[in-house]
Amino acid sequence: MPAPKPQIRFLLRGSALLGGLLTLWWFVLLGPMLYLLKGAGEVFMHIEETPNGGWTLRVPLEKTLPATPQHPFAQQIHSIDFDMPRSDTIAFTFSIPVYWAIVLAAPGLRRSLRPLLLGTALMSVVEVAMLLVFAGITARNVASQLGGTGGTTGDVTGDAAGQWIRHVGEYLIANVLPYAVPFVLALSLHRELRAAVFPWGREAAAPAPTTSGERLPRRRAKR
Amino acid sequence: MREFGQNHIRPLRFILVFAFCLLFGFGVLLTPQVQSVDGRFSQALVRLSHGLLLACGGHATRDGAVLRAPGGFAVEMRDGCNAINVTILLWSAILAFPAPWSMKALGLAAGTAIVQVLNIVRFISLFYLGQYSMTWFEFAHAYLWESLLVLDTMVVFWLWVNRVGRSGAAIHAGA
Repeated sequence: MPAPKPQIRFLLRGSALLGGLLTLWWFVLLGPMLYLLKGAGEVFMHIEETPNGGWTLRVPLEKTLPATPQHPFAQQIHSIDFDMPRSDTIAFTFSIPVYWAIVLAAPGLRRSLRPLLLGTALMSVVEVAMLLVFAGITARNVASQLGGTGGTTGDVTGDAAGQWIRHVGEYLIANVLPYAVPFVLALSLHRELRAAVFPWGREAAAPAPTTSGERLPRRRAKR
Repeated sequence: MREFGQNHIRPLRFILVFAFCLLFGFGVLLTPQVQSVDGRFSQALVRLSHGLLLACGGHATRDGAVLRAPGGFAVEMRDGCNAINVTILLWSAILAFPAPWSMKALGLAAGTAIVQVLNIVRFISLFYLGQYSMTWFEFAHAYLWESLLVLDTMVVFWLWVNRVGRSGAAIHAGA
């Protein structure tokens, strides 16, 4: 029976590791990770835990809200408070076990230690950054709703463009980046995985072919 | 010097084109016009899933993008549940990779088909899992299946890159 392709080996190992590590995260690591994320987030804003496990965030934001029929005078605000359900907070911790699964599924387990440690540190920073950007976008959305069309300037076009950018940013942070960033980071940090997927990684590790159409020899990079 | 430049330009070009395609793809996806097409696409996928369920002897009713079990549990295919996100990721990677347009077209078509077949498997499995346990449904829906789909997408891209390499068109293609 021929050996399975490296892609299929990676898929099988990755699927099993994703199942195992995400289950471990869900039942064991989620609480400590949320605690650490809250601690890191509190450096930049005030976070309070609600009884149902969600968070109340107070995001610093200087803005002058224009006068409205309900509030006849312009108001200066310094921060915005909003609630974040537990399901939303969880999303900012799950990329780390996904990253572990990809790196551990990559060829060359012994050479995975450095990218595993470095990537975990980077992934943690990215998670906190995504939380901060998400909080910033949500706070601006709330301020925009409170202030009607365009805050102090009343620039409807500018605010529409701003709302559009915030909408795309919010969508990317909630629905795309938590899933995609671990894969991008793994490909960036794990040399063997990168060399296996991309031909320029193999080119760098192997001598150049003599003719332009020649297939490149497959080599394992050794350190 | 030239070799150094080539070794760095190709990955850099890939990253830049990939990022541009990704932003452009999601920017277009979130326009109201495409959102309405996206909703109809979700309904079509639910219709297909419903047909498959009935053909395999299952019991369910369908209402637009909602699939309902006889016991009362219902699952709706919303925006993001129709694998359009991972399809945009795959398309961005394929379009950014230097390969002839014929190979890109093959990768886009075959890759999209594979991702969508997997997503129908995902949707049907979630329909049954939700009837068994809502906790496991939440876990599988938001985290496990989504990550598995991105992993599958990466492997599909990897297999396509290998095929491009076997055809001898990968590294020296100007496209």
